[in-house]
Amino acid sequence: MVSGQANNAYVELNFRPNVQLVSVVRRFVSEFYQRTLSDPDGTSRVALATHELLENAVKYSKDGETTIRIEVVSETDPREISILLRNRAEATHISAIREIVDGVANAPDAFGYYQQLIARKARSKDGSGLGLARICAEGEMKVELRVLDGDVVELEATTHVGGSK
Amino acid sequence: MSELLSVKGDDFTGVAVQEGTKIVTSLKGNADYAAIDSVEKLLDKTHDEALRTTASEVVIDLRQLEFMNSSCFKCFVSWITEVQELPEAQQYKVRFQSNAQLHWQKRSLHSLRCFAVELITVDEE
Repeated sequence: MVSGQANNAYVELNFRPNVQLVSVVRRFVSEFYQRTLSDPDGTSRVALATHELLENAVKYSKDGETTIRIEVVSETDPREISILLRNRAEATHISAIREIVDGVANAPDAFGYYQQLIARKARSKDGSGLGLARICAEGEMKVELRVLDGDVVELEATTHVGGSK
Repeated sequence: MSELLSVKGDDFTGVAVQEGTKIVTSLKGNADYAAIDSVEKLLDKTHDEALRTTASEVVIDLRQLEFMNSSCFKCFVSWITEVQELPEAQQYKVRFQSNAQLHWQKRSLHSLRCFAVELITVDEE
């Protein structure tokens, strides 16, 4: 987990996301990233990750309540960005998340794993199943899963992006 | 040029047109969860018409597409898989037109192209 500094830029939202709100939040945090970072590609990567994590939260949340905290760690360039989502999920959903997170972590490279997953999911009609792997492969982010108190899920995506403004 | 199908949501529009021997399908706005059905319909129609008219090429214009989520991306994966599974003589080429300012496009189209390098080309403006 990223350890925060007192002067770090961050935004934290506690809300009940629905499908319509996901794109609204992505646009809002994109503005935050654009105003904080001078790396358009990095901004795009973390905006993509934010969107996929939020859609994941909509899909898996037990009670709808979700907290998202986005922090720009300010010590050095390139900046470390942390996107942390916290919500409650059913055990079956936690297993599904864990399978993807472990799959990426244990693969020789995230992009190769993503390509295999794309091939596997091509004929599947049950959701995309690609979001978390996409964060790792296209977003070049590391994703960690933590389960607290049985059903509280923390998904944290971190990466480094070029310079700050 | 004749219109084959247009779809419109709150935040997403798409249109497929026949232009000579090509089919040009354009997506604009935000392809998120709410746009999945529209993207599926658009790609189904594009595929059916490409086969019916033995199109020389299908062009997918993403230049005004702000974002695409993984569910809509998977619609493209499924469509490309269908093309790959056709007999070779019926397969058609797919050319994506992308916007260099929208950085996600470069990464997502790279992922898609690696999946079907024999079928897909990507132009960047």
